[in-house]
Amino acid sequence: MNSVVSVTDFYFKYLRSDLVLKNINLEIEKGSFTVIIGPSGAGKTTLCKAITGIVPYYTGGDYAGDIKVLGETTKGKKVSDLAMKVGLMLEDYESQLVSLTAGEEVAFSLLNHGFPPEEAEERTRKALEDVGLPGRESYQLDELSGGQRQRLALASLLAVHPEIIVLDEPVSAMDPDGGESLYKLLGKIREEYGTTFIVVEHRVEFVLPYATNLLAIKNGEVAAQGRCEDVIPRVYEDTDLRPLLPDLWQIKCNLEKKTAQKFALWKSEKEAVAELQAKGFGRGVRA
Amino acid sequence: MKLNAFTWIIVTLAVTAWVFILPLEAVATILVLQLVLLLYIKRSKTMLAAIGGLGVFTGMMILLQLLFGSPLDVSLFGGLRMLVMTLAFLCMLATTRIQSIAKALVDRFHLPVEYAFMLTAALRFVPNFLEDSTITLDAQSCRGYSNRGNAIKRLLSYVVVIRPLVMRAVAKSETLALSMELRGFGANTYKNMPKEPFTLVDFVVLAIVIVLSTYPFWKKLIGA
Repeated sequence: MNSVVSVTDFYFKYLRSDLVLKNINLEIEKGSFTVIIGPSGAGKTTLCKAITGIVPYYTGGDYAGDIKVLGETTKGKKVSDLAMKVGLMLEDYESQLVSLTAGEEVAFSLLNHGFPPEEAEERTRKALEDVGLPGRESYQLDELSGGQRQRLALASLLAVHPEIIVLDEPVSAMDPDGGESLYKLLGKIREEYGTTFIVVEHRVEFVLPYATNLLAIKNGEVAAQGRCEDVIPRVYEDTDLRPLLPDLWQIKCNLEKKTAQKFALWKSEKEAVAELQAKGFGRGVRA
Repeated sequence: MKLNAFTWIIVTLAVTAWVFILPLEAVATILVLQLVLLLYIKRSKTMLAAIGGLGVFTGMMILLQLLFGSPLDVSLFGGLRMLVMTLAFLCMLATTRIQSIAKALVDRFHLPVEYAFMLTAALRFVPNFLEDSTITLDAQSCRGYSNRGNAIKRLLSYVVVIRPLVMRAVAKSETLALSMELRGFGANTYKNMPKEPFTLVDFVVLAIVIVLSTYPFWKKLIGA
């Protein structure tokens, strides 16, 4: 497997806290779309921060084990240097925006890393175009809607061309249409650039069409990880984690259990209905 | 005609010095020029409100000086000086992008980048802070907060709004600091920004500043 992130025997605790992450061993495949699920307080955000080097090098705390990003250990690396390889969008993306206009926001990282102004300008233009905000360089941040500001935060990550993008609950404050549209955009970027995505998500129904891998965390430990089709049955068996699966996958697992049949990894209700009808599960089944 | 941020900073600093060395007529002329410039740049309600606010504040300053026993002419000239100084800053902020001012402060005045960035960050977070204060006020009102009663009672009860508001601001500033760290904020931040060249107008304005700033010297020379 060609892995871009490799975590080995990783333990971590914040200053004056109990262990937040315990015995984490995982591999993130290049070009995959990995969804991290788990109950609140399970350590999902801390794991994201660990992958980007913020934990423990920015926050402090005690750790053991090693994290490798694109084959290099994060030990001794500057958080900003790692950010050129792994982009992170925090849950509070609004506070992550530091400039006054959209163009300056996207160019901020580039100029800080010594890109010449002409190249920064070109990359800014392209990144804004990629996220559906073409020609908005001169827009003030308060002229953009919440959804557009989120796309802007994404554009500022894309501009530095990171190989991995980590998003912490990106649609937590969005309406269903906004959530669908953001994930559609992420799917498009992944197809176009082969970017590896790692997403913490509670509303997994939004990621169904794009998710390739699933990582379930419980009490700071990895409960299950791997390709979605392999992991879902194991997550379904865990009564604490089961409610985190989208309804469609819960139905699939339940049917598989009851009928002893195997079903495909449904990515939409339409797919589910088509397969169920094809297998003769009654004419009344509708999406 | 657009002046470089560096020129604006020099003009602003010079005006704050001139009000103490130039005669009353000259200071009054500067005031008229400032008002003309401000209304030429932006004749909006906000601008008029800003000028009006400064006028009211100046009136209060004059009144205070009179109350403390200063003669009328001294109080009026003191108020005029203050008004001209503050309007000089208003002119600079109305005509120049805050990022350009920050860049000029770092490049030309060697201000540490962290302090220069505070200018941008403060401006960036004012709308967020106002939004947060409305949200907090609404949330606390739902929990029984009321701003009725006398001034002291209202002030004390406002603590329930201030406390969560400060906590939110601290949390946001932590995220901002982390974001800046992630994006490599540091010495390069202003260094790599596109340069704003000096034009002939800048040189002319700077020459005028030098001539006016050395006014006492010229006065003595001409008088001799």
